[in-house]
Amino acid sequence: MIRLIRAEFLKLRTTQVWFWLLMATIAVSGLLIVAQIAPSDGVRRADQVPDMFASSSTVDIVVFVLGVLAVTTEFRYQTITPAVLQTPSRWAIVTAKMITYAIVGVIYALVAVVTQLAVAVPWLDAKNVDVEFGNGAVQHSIIGVFAVVALYGIVGLGVGALLRNQIVAVVVGLLFLLVLENVTLAIPGVRHAWPYLPNGASAAIINTGDTHVTDGVYLISTAGGVLVLVLWAVIPAIAGAAFTMNRDIT
Amino acid sequence: MTEPVHASPPTPGRIVVSELTKIFGGKVRAVDRLSFTVEPGSVTGFLGPNGAGKTTTLRMVLGLVRPTAGYATIGGQPYRHLGTPSRFVGAALESSSCHPARTARNHLRIMCVVAGLPEQRADAVLEMVGLRDAAKRKVRGYSMGMRQRLGLAAALLGDPAVLVLDEPANGLDPDGIRWLRGLLRHLANEGRTVLVSSHQLNEVEEVADRVVILNHGKLVQQGSIAELTAGTDRVVVRSPRLDALHAAIAQDGVRIEQVGPDALRVHGLAVEQVGHLSFAAGVELHELTAQRSDLEELFFALTTEAAAETAVQGEPE
Amino acid sequence: MSRLIRAEFLKLRTTQVWFWLLLATVALGAAIAIGALAANGVKKEKDVPYIFATSNTAAIVVLVLGVLGITTEYRYQTITPTVLGTPSRWAIVSAKLITFALAGLGYAIACLAVQLAIAVPWLSAKNIDFDLGQPDLRRSLLGLPLVFVLYAALGIGLGALLRNQILTIVLTLVFLLVVQNIIAAIPGIRHAWNYLPAGATTTILYPHDAGGPGDIPPTSVGAAVAILVLWSLLPAVAGATFTMNRDIT
Repeated sequence: MIRLIRAEFLKLRTTQVWFWLLMATIAVSGLLIVAQIAPSDGVRRADQVPDMFASSSTVDIVVFVLGVLAVTTEFRYQTITPAVLQTPSRWAIVTAKMITYAIVGVIYALVAVVTQLAVAVPWLDAKNVDVEFGNGAVQHSIIGVFAVVALYGIVGLGVGALLRNQIVAVVVGLLFLLVLENVTLAIPGVRHAWPYLPNGASAAIINTGDTHVTDGVYLISTAGGVLVLVLWAVIPAIAGAAFTMNRDIT
Repeated sequence: MTEPVHASPPTPGRIVVSELTKIFGGKVRAVDRLSFTVEPGSVTGFLGPNGAGKTTTLRMVLGLVRPTAGYATIGGQPYRHLGTPSRFVGAALESSSCHPARTARNHLRIMCVVAGLPEQRADAVLEMVGLRDAAKRKVRGYSMGMRQRLGLAAALLGDPAVLVLDEPANGLDPDGIRWLRGLLRHLANEGRTVLVSSHQLNEVEEVADRVVILNHGKLVQQGSIAELTAGTDRVVVRSPRLDALHAAIAQDGVRIEQVGPDALRVHGLAVEQVGHLSFAAGVELHELTAQRSDLEELFFALTTEAAAETAVQGEPE
Repeated sequence: MSRLIRAEFLKLRTTQVWFWLLLATVALGAAIAIGALAANGVKKEKDVPYIFATSNTAAIVVLVLGVLGITTEYRYQTITPTVLGTPSRWAIVSAKLITFALAGLGYAIACLAVQLAIAVPWLSAKNIDFDLGQPDLRRSLLGLPLVFVLYAALGIGLGALLRNQILTIVLTLVFLLVVQNIIAAIPGIRHAWNYLPAGATTTILYPHDAGGPGDIPPTSVGAAVAILVLWSLLPAVAGATFTMNRDIT
């Protein structure tokens, strides 16, 4: 298994995509922090800090894409054939990928959080706002970010395994996460499903304050959020592994 | 597969490569001051070991890669300046460049539209390369041989005067290789210019008139196969009386090696001379064969490391 | 050039991408229209333009269409036969710009048709007037196809500049959907809003008493159109001049 995981990391490192997405992560995380502190109605009190860090979960998009690429690239270059031949158990490949991309998620989340800390801590200090690392809410927030981003990596694997086509998976995934979920929130009736969608579940995991989202829609509990996100990760992955990968590989 | 369609030969084009150089990343000299000419009406083989710079050279000739120095022209013009190039130059390169979800016919139809050719040309070339039945299938279902043939079809689409082919026989079955050989000869006989890069030396030998040999990006040798393999005649002769035979033919400038219990290989004498000398000495012969050094030997001789050191710049332009 | 454009349309028609993206555009347009109407945001006549103005999100799909229209060639190496057939990168990019602009127009009409089919009956059931005489409504209805056309062109340009399919899509979507909104929140920088695609689009489509974030007055509609045109063409120019001339190995 360790061998398989190391192979997965090597495959990732040999693309050029990971690097630019990492740069994008740093840029976007930095901008997010600036946007939260710079405005006059920005972060000015210690109790606003946990929600501030919640924004670094935006990097989940990047890790989602990496997860999708990990699987769809193999289909595309048909490297899935030698990979399968070396390890007759297709489940072993899936597991190795899941572990790898959970770790990748943690790494990118780390980059995002560190970027944000590097900008926020000195700045807030100058404004006399305390970033209380001992505070349960702050810790919850930061750990939540790591959990969410790691899980999105696996969601990406699942979506990639299910949809097989690189472009379809990335476009559909991004449009869903960035656009559709928000549209859902705007439609009465349908909006009650939002807390169970990936972004909704992520919000539940990271959230430390009020759970009210909009009229009559509330976030589920943190534990519930983790469960829902895990299901979003695992169900497509299993469906993908069971149906898609077990078709004859020609 | 059917015979190629006869068409009146279009205006001849000559490929000129002059001091062509390509340095990648400031360090890797893929092609180094390469100069050669490919004349119309002949099939020219472009040979070299892997990594010799053949593909890079072809890509520079076709305007896909920018030379660091030197130039390449077809019919006197760099590729980029040719109007509707696909009607003048047909290219089939190694990378199978087709959208997998498209049918072969549509792929060619698109090229027809760009070049201003009637769509029937697509059907005609598909017929020519034997893909008529598979024409409406998506390319993703094609075997490698079929993709190669599609690449050839695309090159032939514009009925071009010049053909630049990179390893066209790759993936073809023996029947296909034979067909290709016939096709290339036919095209050359019509007065077209055919430049074929290949690893299959025996194939090149069968079909090419001239060769350009490359190693480490430099020209090693160019010329007609006949010229290049001349002077390398050897004679294999077998006789029950080897010592007498040896004595009969030994002379200055002749090298004799024993290659079996009753056979000698003689370098430096024509087969007629060996026959005459043996006859004159009354030596019985059981075999008298002229062996022409083939392209393969020449190729390996020229592209070993030692040869690379003393690369010849070829015939002056 | 007309041959090149016909060839580009043929390329588009002979794969299935155009169909699924058309479906996505129309579905998204429908979802947005339903969302706007069902959310009870449309209570009076002057709210009607918002139904179509918010559809600029559907233009994202057309942008993806444009990106795919050129990056797919790099992905499957069909850029090689394309360049061999047409050595001039300018000609290639121009043909694609025109083709995909026209395709964008087609998609816009389809999207609007569906939205009108949903909105008009719904509005009349609520007794809200659908008054084409209203300038804000006319501007949204005419502006949407313009935005679609320019976003399609922007997609081509970005694809020509970046060439890598995945990177172009991810970076573009992240920029349009995430980064622009962040910029709108940062004091100082936020005044650039009007000059970003989102800002220009908002000015073109939305009623002017809405405007952009808070205190930034919108530019004139003419200026916004010019800005969006620049956005849609400059990447194409840069791509055709620089990145597309790199070696195709």
